[in-house]
Amino acid sequence: MPVKIGNRNGLTICYVEGEIDINTSPDVKKPFDKLISSKTPKIIVNLSKVTYVDSSGLATLVEILKNMRSYGGKLKLSNMSSKIKSLFEITKLEKLFDIVADEEEAISTFV
Amino acid sequence: MIKLDPLAFIKSILSSPSGKVSIKIPSEIKYLRKASSKILSALEGRNVDEGRIFDIKLCIEEAVRNAMVHGNHFNKQKIVKIMYWIGGDTLHIEVEDEGSGFEHAAIVDPTDPTNITKNSGRGVYLIRKLMDKVEYNDKGNKVTMTKILNQRGNIVCP
Repeated sequence: MPVKIGNRNGLTICYVEGEIDINTSPDVKKPFDKLISSKTPKIIVNLSKVTYVDSSGLATLVEILKNMRSYGGKLKLSNMSSKIKSLFEITKLEKLFDIVADEEEAISTFV
Repeated sequence: MIKLDPLAFIKSILSSPSGKVSIKIPSEIKYLRKASSKILSALEGRNVDEGRIFDIKLCIEEAVRNAMVHGNHFNKQKIVKIMYWIGGDTLHIEVEDEGSGFEHAAIVDPTDPTNITKNSGRGVYLIRKLMDKVEYNDKGNKVTMTKILNQRGNIVCP
């Protein structure tokens, strides 16, 4: 599975691995759909092991964010590589998402 | 139902005397990575940095996927033709589909606040931003992308 789910300080942390693209996006989205169906209030997505994201991957993350916001859920993205972060900057998705440096920052700012 | 030769992809790679390499693939997502891998393998030994490799891979896959989806409508009988060549320190990639073309200028700005969550046009936008030059033919079914491989002053291994 490209997503492993953990828990720290009562927060759900999703560790995504590998590539988020046209091929893997459905498998990446599935565990999030499950968390969203149970209205998980706060999710941290740790992207430290993500090596590649295409426009389908960005669209998948946008869908996850939209679905979470529909019930007032909050999402933070952490541990992005500088290259992937640059894609968020170019596409201005950095303004849509709450992007933090690492898990610690995500936890400390998740109030 | 058309039966595809499993070696069709390999057989379709043809190198012309001009150094241009042609790749023809059916409109199926499973061939996407093969096309980008083939082009990236041609860059090995050229001292191209990881960031540029990422950009090139992304833009090839975005352009080919657009050709499959919007040009050929995933019709497996329709081919996406990719041509690439390296001139000096510059990579050129052409991606052509069998569609009637699209009005690339009409694509909405995906970074506009009203479009940001719509997930449309982001692939084309990324290509424009990450490549050094992007041109479309008049019909709108062929895009030519150009990427400088090395910063000026770098030594390029032949």
